[in-house]
Amino acid sequence: MPRTGKLVRITLALAAAGLVAALAVTSAGAAGKRSTGTLKGAGSTLIAPALAVWQPMYGRDSLQYSAIGSGGGIQAISQRTVDFGASDAPMTKSQGEGCNGCVQIPWALTATSPVVNIPGVGAHQLKLTGTVLANIYLGTITKWNDPAIKALNKGLKLPNLSITPVHRSDGSGDTYVFTNYLSKVSKPWKTKVGNATTVSWPTGIGGKGNAGVAAAVSANSGSIGYVSIFYVIQNHLNLARLKNASGNYELPTIASIEASAQLVNSGRIPANNKISITNPPKSKKYANAYPLATFTYVIVPKTSPKAGELKAFITWALGSKAQASIKKYVFAPMPGSVVKAGKKTLATLHS
Amino acid sequence: MSTLDATGEAARRPFPGRRARTGDVLLQGVAGLAALGAVVLLGLLAYKIVDGARLSLSTFGLGFLVHVGWDPVHSHFGAGGFLFGTAVTSIGALILATPLALGIALFLTELAPRWIRGPVTALVETLAAIPSVVIGLWGILVLGPVLHDHVMPALHSTLGFIPLFGPSTTGSTIFTAILVLTIMILPIVSSISRELFLGVPPELKEAALGLGTTRWEMVRGVVLPHTRGGVAAAMILGLGRAVGEAIAVAQVIGAFNNGISWNLFSSGNTLAAQIALEYQSAETKLDVSSLFYLGLILLVFSLVVNLLARMVVRRVARRQGVPAR
Repeated sequence: MPRTGKLVRITLALAAAGLVAALAVTSAGAAGKRSTGTLKGAGSTLIAPALAVWQPMYGRDSLQYSAIGSGGGIQAISQRTVDFGASDAPMTKSQGEGCNGCVQIPWALTATSPVVNIPGVGAHQLKLTGTVLANIYLGTITKWNDPAIKALNKGLKLPNLSITPVHRSDGSGDTYVFTNYLSKVSKPWKTKVGNATTVSWPTGIGGKGNAGVAAAVSANSGSIGYVSIFYVIQNHLNLARLKNASGNYELPTIASIEASAQLVNSGRIPANNKISITNPPKSKKYANAYPLATFTYVIVPKTSPKAGELKAFITWALGSKAQASIKKYVFAPMPGSVVKAGKKTLATLHS
Repeated sequence: MSTLDATGEAARRPFPGRRARTGDVLLQGVAGLAALGAVVLLGLLAYKIVDGARLSLSTFGLGFLVHVGWDPVHSHFGAGGFLFGTAVTSIGALILATPLALGIALFLTELAPRWIRGPVTALVETLAAIPSVVIGLWGILVLGPVLHDHVMPALHSTLGFIPLFGPSTTGSTIFTAILVLTIMILPIVSSISRELFLGVPPELKEAALGLGTTRWEMVRGVVLPHTRGGVAAAMILGLGRAVGEAIAVAQVIGAFNNGISWNLFSSGNTLAAQIALEYQSAETKLDVSSLFYLGLILLVFSLVVNLLARMVVRRVARRQGVPAR
């Protein structure tokens, strides 16, 4: 008697477990497809601190965000498992087609920046030019006491130490901005490597995420990497100064990023809002511009049942109150013309 | 296990027929469905992977297996470097882990004082429970720098004439990955070996000792030959684990895709690590499809590993006249 009881109980338990699992799967599927009042987003890690600030301001219950990386964000919005995606790199042609009627709107302005770990070189002392940076990542400059680096850093004691260039091993908006800049300043880079969220690195080692690059840089003396600026500030990493086209060595600050963004006012903004502001040309206007600044984008479907909520939220995010609140993470205020273009795109959303 | 118990009991103690039969039918149905589900799932998975890899298969063909490099900008992908990295890291880890694991297992079954066996066994098995991402983090922050500052220069200066021990520039190397994988497969091989050694009939061991052999001769003449097939299978299981490990390897190997080198102190990449790193950012259809192709290679590889393990066990068992475990 107790034995049959056990047998029946086991089978019942198995059946119940199966049922629960099936229910869980179907309900999860349903929740992923159709959410209620809350706006769900996923993507870029660069914008994540901004969204963390915005969430309590906009209403904790009306906003959710997971920082899974720009590529993941585009995939998530393409499959419509979220209401908006976020990416630091504008969508490529095939991504745009895959997203099936999505638009991208620039909604924050920040930068990625080279950081170094060289014994004997203090905070923010090292100076670099775009060409030298490209040659380091191409593997043609391999020592810190290379004449090309020495010439830029007179008075700095540079050791006879191998350079280890560190890159992002996962696809990343930071890599997009970084390679976008290197492609503009170096012909060999443009033809050999190119510009994308993942490229074929000629040399060096990879780290996963900002944290992975920062860890690799701090663990290997003689290394150089690039990370999002908020991450540099939070972790007190050693920045390298970058020479802009006007000949000044700049650090990423609100002012120097804002100066780069003035580039958009001179040209017109394309309908797809794809804007590159790396390496602004030589001019008095851009005398103090930081050459590695970037817009980061929110990606939304043109047609969605939540068009109203999305419009309200993104309009709010583009507003001066939301933009001012994220200054402490080195997000510079967006130029008026970009905000205007973004609102124009936003008006095309419908349910 | 408990279901087996129950049916065994049922045979001995007859029940009113109908209740037992409903139970049996239910059990048969549920268990059968579960087994069928697993087979169907595997089939669907294999189909989906082959289907996903189709574009890359038709574009690159078998040349994919030897081409080294991963270039999304110019849409040229190859698995050569990853295959090389996977082979070197997993075989290297196996070479380091096997003697260590056998030593641990022998110590715990034959040599250690009884009171120490329980705690040490538990600790070794805890090693298997550490999440791989934690081992990877330790690998990049602690192990890598130590290897780079002390171990690699020492090995290079003493054994530098062997091309495997070249100069090192970073702590994120193939060698670091080998050590991390060694730590991960060690508990698998050692705990299976320990079970096997415990299963050697005590009569045989006592007989050997009774003939006046030393403990080492007893181990060499009785314990090891008796468990050879099982140990080989344990090694192959460990190899499978090493081949499939993605996250910890991705963290420490340096993710360098653009060339292969026999220098263990240089960076590289593996099949599993590349899939883990790249899948979210794959942009073009060909890129995604090439990742599926890497997955297909991994799938085929693990299938081969499993078959190999079975073959080894069966062959050794036949030679010894012991039924396969």
